Amino acid sequence: MENQNIERDIKATLKKNWRLFRQSRLGITGLVIVIFFGFLAILQPILFLTNVWDEATYHPVVGYDAEQVTRTVVECPDEYPTREYETKEDCPRVDEVNIRYLKAFNIQVEVGDLYESNVQPAPPSSRHLLGTDSLGRDIFSQIMEGSQVAFLLGLISAIIGVGISTLLGTAAAFYGGKLDTYLMRQSDLVLMLPSLPFLFIISAFAELKVWHLAIVLGTLGGLGGSVITIKSQALQVKVKPFVDSARITGGSKRRIMFSHILPNVAPLALLYMVFSVTGAIASESVLSFLGLLNIDMSWGIMIYLAQTEGFIFTGLKYWWLILPAGLAVTLLAGGFYLVGRGLDDVFNPRLRRR
Amino acid sequence: MLIYTVKRFFEMVIVFFLFLVISYLLFNAIPGNAFSSLLLNPLLPPEAYQKTIEAFGLDKPLYERVQLYIINFFKGDFGYSYTYYPRTPIDLIAERLPRTLMLFSIVNVIAFYTGFLVGKILAWRRGSKSETWITIGSVFSYTVFYPWFALMMLWFFGYKMDWFPLGKFLVPEKWYDSPYTSDEIFYTLILFVTVSSFLLFLVFIFTRNIESLQNRRNVRFLGLLSLFALAAMYWSNGEAALKRFYAADIAFHMILPTFTVTLVAFAGTALLTRTTMMEVLKDDYILTARAKGLSQKRIRDRHAARTALLPVVTSFIFTIITIIDGSVLTESIFSWPGMGQLILEAVVQEDIPLAMASFSFIGILALIAHFIADISYAFLDPRIRIKAEN
Repeated sequence: MENQNIERDIKATLKKNWRLFRQSRLGITGLVIVIFFGFLAILQPILFLTNVWDEATYHPVVGYDAEQVTRTVVECPDEYPTREYETKEDCPRVDEVNIRYLKAFNIQVEVGDLYESNVQPAPPSSRHLLGTDSLGRDIFSQIMEGSQVAFLLGLISAIIGVGISTLLGTAAAFYGGKLDTYLMRQSDLVLMLPSLPFLFIISAFAELKVWHLAIVLGTLGGLGGSVITIKSQALQVKVKPFVDSARITGGSKRRIMFSHILPNVAPLALLYMVFSVTGAIASESVLSFLGLLNIDMSWGIMIYLAQTEGFIFTGLKYWWLILPAGLAVTLLAGGFYLVGRGLDDVFNPRLRRR
Repeated sequence: MLIYTVKRFFEMVIVFFLFLVISYLLFNAIPGNAFSSLLLNPLLPPEAYQKTIEAFGLDKPLYERVQLYIINFFKGDFGYSYTYYPRTPIDLIAERLPRTLMLFSIVNVIAFYTGFLVGKILAWRRGSKSETWITIGSVFSYTVFYPWFALMMLWFFGYKMDWFPLGKFLVPEKWYDSPYTSDEIFYTLILFVTVSSFLLFLVFIFTRNIESLQNRRNVRFLGLLSLFALAAMYWSNGEAALKRFYAADIAFHMILPTFTVTLVAFAGTALLTRTTMMEVLKDDYILTARAKGLSQKRIRDRHAARTALLPVVTSFIFTIITIIDGSVLTESIFSWPGMGQLILEAVVQEDIPLAMASFSFIGILALIAHFIADISYAFLDPRIRIKAEN
């Protein structure tokens, strides 16, 4: 009977919170973005398993597809600008090929002919929705793989980090004294640590994989500033009447901490979790952008490849190599951030619009 | 105030020693012999090899090595850099650190000021269309993948538009027959920026108490104009006139990195200011101010914004570390030869003495920034220093 009541209460609270969350437009936008990328992450294995996508063609790392593209043969002028091309970079366009280049390989063609050949990177087509990279690998599949990596890393590191910081923060608030002083100094030290150079150094001597990075990021995040915030929240809960009455009725310290204080700190911890996912995704992308991680494929690596292969300064000519990966990182990190903002409105009643 | 400062200082010293020990242990944890690449490096003569072994006490037990490292740190002795052999890590850092500090402090000040301004306006216009758009913009720049964004900026402004140089510190062609070294010019530039920002600060302090907002704006504008006139006079007279050409070259290379980092860094401050302003605006004394019939601008700037400043300053302490991290990336993308590029290079090429030295120095930079921010926070909020003194 009592259990049923509790269940109903929880359902009612969830319903109320969902209603509040729904009012924040930014939060809903964020949720939609996160769900979209989650869908992409799940879709890829399904496509492989159902054989809609052939692994040899669409695999994000070892796949290869020689795409036949028909291009017009043109002759690039010596002087720019001309009527058709403004600068040297504009000729040949993506759907054109320079006749001098073909002549160099002893291929006999005339200006205006159609020339069929394999190209990498191939522009978007119905076969490859976002084209292929310079090794003939499908960009869309890479984006999907990248979102798997991002979700895995973000969620693991957030869970580790929030677990640590909630436990330490509540303990510091509840026991106080030396433990409190020690934990606060420790989080000062961690906060002070310049995290990017620190990660550089770790990656210099350890072969960092996604798992390792998630653990390192989670621990760093969990020992840092969030301990202080959660402690201050726990201090507010600690002086509430129900904690006193629990103590008077003979609740043990551990029981008070775990079943009375912890549930009241949980909303704030959830908020932190959502925000720390943003940080984790960004850190992973930065490290793989600098080529310091031992990961096969991720969004950071896609940008790293686009930069090292020199496509970044071609501007929008090879947009499918540059834009999707950068936008994906930005959108997913932004999506989690917006969800956090929406949750903030729910848990922080002072900010609610009246 | 003094007691608080001294107390914080002692705490800082303790944290500093802990940091040194931890950073040594971190390098010590490298599998195998941390310095093994020494043996493989053909650039190093035997003396340097001996010297490094002695300097780091590589044949001694761990606790002696840690001791030796701390002592060496204060002596400024880190052996030799592996990749830049005849030069020592300290020598390299002395060259690179001012460049990072300059870029980083300019960006910090600009980003904080614009962030606070934008956040203030955002909170004030809650619910309007412009608020939604500015919020979306700030969220975008807060969460944008920074290296990608910086590369896009570099591509657009540097390559496509050709308004700014593509990274680097200076154009070597202009410096062939220069009578000055780039460091000399750069120190002049640092001096100039420090003095002029100090004067600007003075102008702001002295005009703070002018009651009428209109008058205050006019006086500040006049002060700014006279500062410009002074700067123009300085650069067109005496030795500075000769240095002008070279200083302009360096300053020109600084514009794009500064602009890019500011664009990304201001968003965090703006979003936080918005939140705290919104909480403050619900307080009763704002209602009182409205009831008194004060002008909207006065309520916003004088009553609400000052209270909202406090939490923003606290978060600024944390932001400093983020900006140091960001400067590492900025430097490697814009090829700005500072500390960040140095540490990245050292890590990639496994130049351990250099990596150790630069990591320690970046840590100290963060520590000092942290300390200054702490003190200024206590200065702004009397509750903290009273609590600390009791």
